[in-house]
Amino acid sequence: MTSGRMELVCPAGTPATLRAAVQAGADAVYCGFRDETNARNFPGLNFSAEELAEGVRFAHDHGSKVLVAINTFARVNDVGLWKKAADTAAECGANAIIAADIAVLDHVAKNHKQVRLHLSVQAAAATPEAIGFYATSFGIRRVVLPRVLSVQEIAALNRAIEVETEAFVFGGLCVMIEGRCYLSSYATGKSPNLNGVCSPPEMVSYDDEPNSTAARLSGFTIDRYEPGEPVGYPTLCKGKFKAGGKTSYLFEDPVSLNAGGMIAGLKAAGVTALKIEGRQRGKGYVTEVVRAFRKAVDAVEQGGDAIEIDRILAGQSEGSRQTAGAYSKKWR
Amino acid sequence: MVTGNTEPRLPAVVRHLFPAFAGLPLGPLLTLSLRSLAGRQPRLFDRLGEHRTACYFIDPIDLAFAFTVVPDAERSIVRVVRKSEAATSSVQIRGPILTLLSLLDGTLDGDALFFSRIISISGRTEAVLALRNTIEDAELRPADLLGLRGALARLVDTGILGALGVVRQMADRNSRDKAPEA
Repeated sequence: MTSGRMELVCPAGTPATLRAAVQAGADAVYCGFRDETNARNFPGLNFSAEELAEGVRFAHDHGSKVLVAINTFARVNDVGLWKKAADTAAECGANAIIAADIAVLDHVAKNHKQVRLHLSVQAAAATPEAIGFYATSFGIRRVVLPRVLSVQEIAALNRAIEVETEAFVFGGLCVMIEGRCYLSSYATGKSPNLNGVCSPPEMVSYDDEPNSTAARLSGFTIDRYEPGEPVGYPTLCKGKFKAGGKTSYLFEDPVSLNAGGMIAGLKAAGVTALKIEGRQRGKGYVTEVVRAFRKAVDAVEQGGDAIEIDRILAGQSEGSRQTAGAYSKKWR
Repeated sequence: MVTGNTEPRLPAVVRHLFPAFAGLPLGPLLTLSLRSLAGRQPRLFDRLGEHRTACYFIDPIDLAFAFTVVPDAERSIVRVVRKSEAATSSVQIRGPILTLLSLLDGTLDGDALFFSRIISISGRTEAVLALRNTIEDAELRPADLLGLRGALARLVDTGILGALGVVRQMADRNSRDKAPEA
């Protein structure tokens, strides 16, 4: 069980969002550079080196930390860009680097000993053996847990490992084990693991048709919406497809994770930090979600509960539908 | 194109103040504002990357005219155009003028407005995303576009945002009166 106060780790896609997250009560913000070294490589998003240095100064002045995600996998024979990103993050005063690629972890461990290493969810490390390997080999201080574990499994894991754990509590969900999904690359030639982008926007189109709007990815129809029906961003894993004569969300319903009601359980399971997903979301989302979780975490830390959080955050979820995901594996 | 039926629209009295020809002086004025903003905050336009040369067709559906914007920093161009000129642009963004202005000043969330179909987009999605993220980060106030600073900037911001607030309230009342009963 964590002895200290749980840390609230919040997303920042731009400097303005970083400031919004800090002012809303984030203990730490995570962000990335404006290139393929991080898993949210979208146009107009992310930080230059200068912006990161300013963001770190702002966060530190307000008592918050900055964690830099360099969490995609380096290209064969071309790890230079990833090493340079790690060097720049260290020069800017980042508190931690979040990485998954062994080459990047090795570079940080050998060259930037003052910077904490957090193992990205992209590494999909969910066993004491895997986490132990990264701890022994690279000195990782924290592991971001894949979203496939129940609260009971997290508690058991925490009893068997020496490093801190960070668990996602809100935002988009992936259907597959992180770091191992290449679904997007089959349709677009690009994947989040290598290029930092799932469903690259240059291959997304919304086409008006008689009585409907089709959302397409690289020409493939992912979903079709009636007039007035809320639309979504087309990802293959959350597409509606026809199989066996039935049209349905074949892989995963477009629902969002909300484990706001499980904060006390995650604390009891020994989780050190709670992570909010959404570096691609705007200041409005970040401010509202961070404020709600700040209130909920503080309430839990004072021995109360966080039941109001579901109501507050209902409008911020994809498709306005929420799930506790694998944290409560009711299907077992 | 689909937009929300109950989204605040410009009240008729305000709309009549802006017939098609009334928009014409806005083109050169907004061009100057944008170029001047680029001179003061060049980093702001870096975020657009290659999309700064894209042509954005902005269509306020409750006005008689539309705009094309090429946000190329000190080479930016804003033109007031007819609604029929959409096809020549890379991206088309449509919505009620008050909603579009709220996107600019950060009052409303662009994702939420798009997913709920209050605004609509077509054309190059990546260029829209780059513009949306740039605007999100810019935290623009009216005084920024006018190149004002200090006490005068605060005064102008208060005045313009206050006036916009009044128009929004009028529009809200107008929309509620027309909304179907649940």
